[in-house]
Amino acid sequence: LLNVPSPCPPQVTVLYFARSAELVGLRSESVCVPQRITSLQLWEEIVKIHPRLAVIRDQVVFAVRQEYVLLGDQLLVLQTGDEVAIIPPISGG
Amino acid sequence: MDEREDVPKDFIKLKSEKLSVDEVSELVTSPCCGAVSLFIGTTRNNFEGKKVIRLEYEAYTSMAEMEIKKICRDVRRKWPSVKHIAMHHRLGVVPITEASVIIAVSSPHRAESLEAVTHCINTLKAFVPIWKKVIHKHWCTYKQHVCHRVLVNIH
Repeated sequence: LLNVPSPCPPQVTVLYFARSAELVGLRSESVCVPQRITSLQLWEEIVKIHPRLAVIRDQVVFAVRQEYVLLGDQLLVLQTGDEVAIIPPISGG
Repeated sequence: MDEREDVPKDFIKLKSEKLSVDEVSELVTSPCCGAVSLFIGTTRNNFEGKKVIRLEYEAYTSMAEMEIKKICRDVRRKWPSVKHIAMHHRLGVVPITEASVIIAVSSPHRAESLEAVTHCINTLKAFVPIWKKVIHKHWCTYKQHVCHRVLVNIH
């Protein structure tokens, strides 16, 4: 994702829930991403790692640092340790 | 009770143990309040015409608690006379007829607590990152609405 010699900045924690966790087989992992990236580009980076996620692309939003973000043009500025959660359709209550 | 200690409180809990209506309603009971309104969400034995064995809930716990706190703030802004708010949600397995969520609100008079409880459950369903998995006899599926509620609600 980035060709830099020293610790790949930034390293975010991606969290998977519900259907996305089933597709990926993980609950969380560390991923290196560009510091400045749109939410759609971020999704595409994650799908490169886990192509099975592509089937839910139209059903998910992100939560970045626990704020909802739609997949689209919104520019994200990420830092190491930030949480990025894949949020499939919620169904609490 | 010392009335100086009776400051408005929010009681938020996500837990895997069985929820208690008595516990939740006692949390919000207050000498200055003449009304306690309650909502209990329970597991139904059918979903989309098929028999349900049980539900299983999971949550993005830290964010869910934050979103529930936002709901409480919102309630106090809209209904300033509300005294205490309790929102308890169960995680993990919830058998048929057991409660998955209990919400209780107290206020001096009934209108505010009744309206606030309705607002709480509707907003919880719209914004709080909790998911239910529906377990049928031979398969399971995550409950899915036509549109992602967050997509609909945060424009």
